[in-house]
Amino acid sequence: MSDYSLSDDDYYNDEDMFDITQDDDDMNMDDYTEDFKVDTNSKRKSYEIEYESLNQPAVEKLMQQDVAYIIGILGVDSSIAARLLRHSSWNKERLIEKYMDNPNTILVAAGVTAPEPPSVTSPIRTHIGDRRTTRSASKIISTLSSSSKTSSKASSSSYQPAQTRLKAERFVCPICYDDSSDLQTASLDCDHLFCTGCWTTYITSKIRDEAEHCIRCMAEGCCLVAPDTFIQSALAGEGEPTWARFQELLVRHFVSCNPNLKYCPHPGCTNTVSCPAAASKSSLTTVVPAVSCGARGIPGSPEALTSAVAAKEHYFCFGCPIDSDHRPVVCSVAKMWLKKCADDSETANWIKSNTKECPKCQSTIEKNGGCNHMTCKKCKHEFCWVCMGPWSEHGTSWYSCNRYEEKSGTDARDAQSKSRASLERYLHYYNRWANHEQSAKLSLDLYAKTEKKMEDMQITSSLTWIEVQFMKKAVEEADKCRMTLKWTYAMAYYLARGNEKELFEDNQRDLEQAVEELAELLEQPIEADAIPTLRQKVTDKTVYVHKRNEIVLEDTANGFLEGRWKWNARVEGFDEPDQADLV
Amino acid sequence: MDARLRRVNKEIADCKNDKASGIKIELIDESPFHLKGIFPGPEGTPYAGGTFLVDIIIPESYPFQPVKMKFITKVYHPNVSSASGAICLDILKDAWSPVLTLKSTLISLQSLLCSPEPNDPQDAEVAKHFTTSKGSFEDTATYWTQIYAGGPGKKGVSTASSGDGKDEVAMAGLEKAHVDQFEALGFQRGKVIDVLRRLNYRGKNVTQISEDRVVEELLK
Ligand SMILES: [Zn+2]
Ligand SMILES: [Zn+2]
Ligand SMILES: [Zn+2]
Ligand SMILES: [Zn+2]
Ligand SMILES: [Zn+2]
Ligand SMILES: [Zn+2]
Repeated sequence: MSDYSLSDDDYYNDEDMFDITQDDDDMNMDDYTEDFKVDTNSKRKSYEIEYESLNQPAVEKLMQQDVAYIIGILGVDSSIAARLLRHSSWNKERLIEKYMDNPNTILVAAGVTAPEPPSVTSPIRTHIGDRRTTRSASKIISTLSSSSKTSSKASSSSYQPAQTRLKAERFVCPICYDDSSDLQTASLDCDHLFCTGCWTTYITSKIRDEAEHCIRCMAEGCCLVAPDTFIQSALAGEGEPTWARFQELLVRHFVSCNPNLKYCPHPGCTNTVSCPAAASKSSLTTVVPAVSCGARGIPGSPEALTSAVAAKEHYFCFGCPIDSDHRPVVCSVAKMWLKKCADDSETANWIKSNTKECPKCQSTIEKNGGCNHMTCKKCKHEFCWVCMGPWSEHGTSWYSCNRYEEKSGTDARDAQSKSRASLERYLHYYNRWANHEQSAKLSLDLYAKTEKKMEDMQITSSLTWIEVQFMKKAVEEADKCRMTLKWTYAMAYYLARGNEKELFEDNQRDLEQAVEELAELLEQPIEADAIPTLRQKVTDKTVYVHKRNEIVLEDTANGFLEGRWKWNARVEGFDEPDQADLV
Repeated sequence: MDARLRRVNKEIADCKNDKASGIKIELIDESPFHLKGIFPGPEGTPYAGGTFLVDIIIPESYPFQPVKMKFITKVYHPNVSSASGAICLDILKDAWSPVLTLKSTLISLQSLLCSPEPNDPQDAEVAKHFTTSKGSFEDTATYWTQIYAGGPGKKGVSTASSGDGKDEVAMAGLEKAHVDQFEALGFQRGKVIDVLRRLNYRGKNVTQISEDRVVEELLK
C-alpha cells in the first residue's frame, strides 16, 4: 500500500505543472485536443481506457467513407447511398445483402423510389429555381460528386421545371393556398408539387421541432425521403443554421447506430468519442470507460475562455448514461446506486441542506466552503460536518469517518429496527456521497473568488502570473478526488463485508483525509507575503492527494480485472452473491 | 397576413360552403386557433344518430405539425379514451401530412368510428370489451351515444333507466344479473361495477373468471 513515493512522479513535478497551466492561458479547442492526445498516448494505467475523441468533421469523414463504399459496391449515386445507409442504420453488410436480394424493396423502404413503377431508379428532380440548385453543395456532397457523376443511374433527362409544365392552369399550393403567378415550386421524384416557401417551413419544422433527419414528402401517404441536396437548397440563405443542425442530426444518428461511438452528452457539444474497448456489454464488468471528448465548458460561451475551472472538461461514461466520470465504480453498480438515491430521495433530502446545528451549542452553522472541518463561531467547538463528531478525533489512524460500523445481528431483531438499521446504513453512505458533491461545488465557488483575489495580488505585488496559479491546479485536483470519493461510497454501499472491503475503505479513508487537508489549506486567507510558503504547502499536498487518488483508482480497477470484488446485492453481469453476504 | 391564419380562415370558409359532408367547424372563443369540430355519427354503427363534438387546437407550426384533436363528447370506442377523449389515430401523429385539412381529419375521425383498431388501443379496457364480445360492446357504445351524443338508443333497451337518466350497469357494458349477484354478497354496487368492468366480466370471459377471483378483487 505504501510503495509510492512523491519524487518518482514526473507528471507532477513543478515544471510540468506550470507547463500545463501555461497551456491553459491561450486556451482553445486545438490545445485541448493536443493535451488530450498527449494523455492517451502516454502509458495507460489500469483505470484508464483507450479511446479517441472525434469532432464533427471527423465523424462526417467516417460517414463519407461508408457512403463511398456503398457507391462502389452498389453503383448508386451518393444521395441514394446515403439514404440507403441511414435506412439500414448504417449496417453496410445488411444493406448490401438486402439490396442484392431485391434492390427495389429496399429502395422503396428507404424512401428513394415510389412503390410504382417498380423497375427504374430515377434520379431526384428538384424544381427549386435553377440558380439555387446549382449552388455549391455541402462538403459531403462536393467530395462525392465525382462518384455521383459516374453513377449509371444518374440522369437529368427527366428534369422538368414545374413552372413551364403547369403554365396552362394556374398552380395553387395545396398547403398555403397561394396561387401567385410567380410562385416558386418544387417536388421530389414523386412530382408532388408544393411551393418552395412551404417546403422550407416544413423542412425547418421537421429539423427544429422534431429533430428529424429523415424528411418525407409532404403529400399524404407519400413515403419518398428528400435527398440532402434538396434539403440544402430549401435551407439556403436564412436556413443555414437549420442546415447545420440537420448535419448534426445526421452525425448523431450515425453515432447512435455504431456501438463503438458515443456522442458527447454535454450541452451544445458536437464531439464524439470512439471507444471500441467498451463497446460490448460484457466489458463493462471489468472496466469503467470514463472518457472525455476533449472539449470544455459550453462551446461558444465566453466562460470557456475565461475560467478553466468553471469550464470543466467534458468527462462522461462511455458505457452508461451517466454524464460524468464515475470511476472507480462500474456502470451497473453506479446505476443501482443512483436508482436507490432517486427512490429514497425524500428521506435523504435533509442531508443536502447547507445548514446544520452545532452539536454543542445548537447555534445554526452554514457551510460555505468545501472543507468539512467546522468551527462554531459562537462556542468555538470544532467538529466534522459529515459525522458531526468532534474534529479532534479525525485525522488519527483509529478514527474512521468513512466506515459504517455494522450493528451486530442481535441489535436488529424485529422488522422495524431492521428497516431502521438499513436506512441508517444507507444514510451513512448517502451522506458522504452527497457531501463530496456539495463540497466540490463549494470549493469551485470559493476558487472563483480566490482567483480574482490572486489576480489582483499579481498586480499589486511582485508575484508573477505563474506564481499565483498553483491554486487552480490544487482546486482541480481536489475536485477530481472528490468525484472519486463520491463514487467510492456508492461502491462501498454494495461491497460485501470482509477483508477486501476493509482494504478498500482504508484507501478511501486515506484519500479522504488527504483531500480534507488540502481543502483546509485552500480556505486559508491569502496574504501576499505568505504566498511562497502557502504555495509550497499546497503544491506538496496536491502531489500527495494526486497519488492517493491514483491508488484508489488503480487498486479498484485491478480488483475488477481480477474479479476480486464481491457484492452484498445482485449486480447485473456479476456472479450471484453469497447468501451470507446479502443485506 | 400570417400564413397559418390565412390557411385556417380558408379551411373554415371551405367547410362552411360544403354542406354535403355534414362536417361543421365553429369557433370556441375569439381565437381562430382553438376550434370545435362537429360531425354526425356514421350510419350503420353504434354511433349512428349521435352528434360528436371535437376540440381542435391548431399549433404554431400548423399545417407542418399535426393539429391537436380530442373528443369533447364522450365516446365508447377502443381508440378513444373513455375518460379524456384522447384519440389514437396515426394521422394525428407520424402519418400527418401538411396536405391534410381540419375537414379531412374530422372525416378520418368519423371513419375511425366505423372501423375500430383494437390492436392499437387508446383505451385498453374498452378494447378488451370489443375483442371479447362485440355484441355487448356495441350495446354499450350505442348506449353511450344515446346518453352523451343524443343518439336514439337501442329499441326496447334502457328506456327504464331512472333518476339522472344513466344506467351505470349499461354504461359499464355489464349485465344486470352479474352485478346483482355480487351485490347480494354484501358489496357496494359501485364497487362491483368497477371490479367487473376492470376484469372484463363479459361474454365467454364470465365462465373463465371464478367467483372467488371476483370476490378477491372486491375485498382489495
Ligand atoms: Zn405553399
Ligand atoms: Zn411525394
Ligand atoms: Zn463534449
Ligand atoms: Zn458508466
Ligand atoms: Zn457551537
Ligand atoms: Zn467525520
